[in-house]
Amino acid sequence: MTTPMVNLTIEGRPISVPAGTSILEAAKVAGVLIPHYCYHPGLPVAGVCRMCLVDVENAPKLMPSCATSVAEGQVVHVHNDKSLDARKGVLELLLINHPLDCPICDQSGECELQDYTFQEGRADSRYREPKRFNPVEDFGGDVMYVPNRCILCTRCVRFMDDVHGDPVLAVAERGDRAVITTAPDAGLTQAWAGNVVDLCPVGALLSKDFLNKARAWELDRSASVCTGCSQGCNIVVETRDNAVVRLKPRANEAVNGHFMCDEGRLNYRWLNRMDRLVAPMAGGGETEWDLATAAVAATFAGKKAHVVANPSLSNEVFFLLGRIVAKAGGAIHFAVPQGSEAPLPGVEDLSLRADRAANATGAELLGALRSDHPYAGVSGGHLLVLVDVEPSAVPAAALSAAGAVVFIGTADPSKLGRLAAALPIANVVESDGTITNLRGRVQRFLQAKAAPGHARPAWYALADVLIALGEKADYHSASEVFSALAAAKPPFAGMSFDSLGLKGTDVAGAVAGASR
Amino acid sequence: MSAHETVPYTPVFVGKRKLDLDAILLRYPTKQAALLPALWIVQEARGWVSEAGVTEVAAALELSAAYVKGVLTFYTMYHQHPVGKYFIQVCTTSPCLCAGADKVAEAFLRHTGCNELGVTSPDGKYTVIEVECLGACGFATPVQINADTVENVTADTVPQILAGLK
Repeated sequence: MTTPMVNLTIEGRPISVPAGTSILEAAKVAGVLIPHYCYHPGLPVAGVCRMCLVDVENAPKLMPSCATSVAEGQVVHVHNDKSLDARKGVLELLLINHPLDCPICDQSGECELQDYTFQEGRADSRYREPKRFNPVEDFGGDVMYVPNRCILCTRCVRFMDDVHGDPVLAVAERGDRAVITTAPDAGLTQAWAGNVVDLCPVGALLSKDFLNKARAWELDRSASVCTGCSQGCNIVVETRDNAVVRLKPRANEAVNGHFMCDEGRLNYRWLNRMDRLVAPMAGGGETEWDLATAAVAATFAGKKAHVVANPSLSNEVFFLLGRIVAKAGGAIHFAVPQGSEAPLPGVEDLSLRADRAANATGAELLGALRSDHPYAGVSGGHLLVLVDVEPSAVPAAALSAAGAVVFIGTADPSKLGRLAAALPIANVVESDGTITNLRGRVQRFLQAKAAPGHARPAWYALADVLIALGEKADYHSASEVFSALAAAKPPFAGMSFDSLGLKGTDVAGAVAGASR
Repeated sequence: MSAHETVPYTPVFVGKRKLDLDAILLRYPTKQAALLPALWIVQEARGWVSEAGVTEVAAALELSAAYVKGVLTFYTMYHQHPVGKYFIQVCTTSPCLCAGADKVAEAFLRHTGCNELGVTSPDGKYTVIEVECLGACGFATPVQINADTVENVTADTVPQILAGLK
């Protein structure tokens, strides 16, 4: 059954949307943003802020566009005098007790109150009375509450009630004394509670982790995918001066809705780690890329490869590793770190997964072997190839048993002892690529910062190793590696970076629509 | 122990008060609907509603403690901190103010030793606040002391009223 379409006109633009769509969402289709605070596409409609009032012809009064469905032949005016006057009034009221402390507010630059006031608000206030004051509160977890800035849109309350299913927030008091409050002896320590900071349209709920770290306009942003678990939440990586300072969720209805968990959100410092391998090494010292690559290729002679790879590496890396072991003999092994599962009840099939690695599904589709003991069976006839594994986690027995050891990774490998060669590679935010989540959705991540020293993207380093082994691997970008992968591996047939876009595509055989 | 609490909290809904709550629950289609009377039971038993009281009411009515706290704080007639044995509310809305209600409030503050609105007297007996219209404008100034209303109060009759409180 298809939903019937409704035709209407918004700001003079004729559009056709499914019946039941709100005027606010329909306006987005028409390319018109109706200013709003309490409405959020990931939350139940409340209709409390009165900011989204629009003039609907033949309606007796202004209509809240978030809570009014489209109707056939409706003519909606968003920017006429009547609507503008209403919004100006709402903004003036919201600012009565707002401290206007934008210069010291973390939200400044990404604040909807600031933006709309600048666009459409009055230049001054007619209110002369002193503003009410309430002290800053620690809400627990990563969340701090600045009640003076709060506009009581109740997005945070509805998120905890209806999406998280742990109703610890409520509006306390009334009138101008009203504030958001936590239940007695409760706080925002839940696995997904940090989302209230993103949901807050103003600077009332702030991340303690990000507090006073950067101004919003100083940040560079790149679309990426969280590698904290196998869910593959779409994220935005925000960097300042080539360092990751914040991760934010990026909306993808098929994977993570509008949200990401606190564990993923706060686990970004390793992306800036300073103990990195920054130059290629061979023969016990630093050398040039060509010499180090040749040394890696030479070490394969007469040995089978025992590759142990990090299961958060990209599909491209696993594809090229697969080609290397196809040539040299051997296999690729990986272990997946485990953690406790933490679902977000209000969003279907969204959870912090027990598998705390991003690409175990892709690795298996590309022929790598999952096991709890990835180092088992390493012997003198093996070349042990460590790909982006943590040096401190490599068992000494495997190192001494192997015929030779090659390290291709991000971390400083000096703990590993004598290596035949070491190739420095870029981490997930320093390169492009794709990863496959647990439901088989292939998603792209984009480069957000520069890699340190001489580090190269892993696909680049591995393609050169293939060439040194006498294979054809003249790839010039991650995109070309992915196209070759799509041509060679049936689950990925027909895919390309272009076709994936920034929201991904399900692999062949994945249950349609089950990718989150 | 939560804010303002000086003795460990003991449950309110036991014995007769549990029966009272059960009787009230019978009057309503949902447990949520009994929230205001349930809070009244707690306030009548303890004189105020503490955070532990909020938690107990929430558990009894299967509501979230945050929601109960939101309702409790919305209504000014519930006390969120302990008040004196005699809770004195002086009407100071316009007609009473014209009839000298501010002097009445002042007299209560002076004679009870409270000195400040909303602050309990050192002996713990009195708390005086100003309230909006008590609906007895023809008998200005009305004063509500706990559940009882005294009409035609003037600054001069305040000591006599206080003396009559047992």
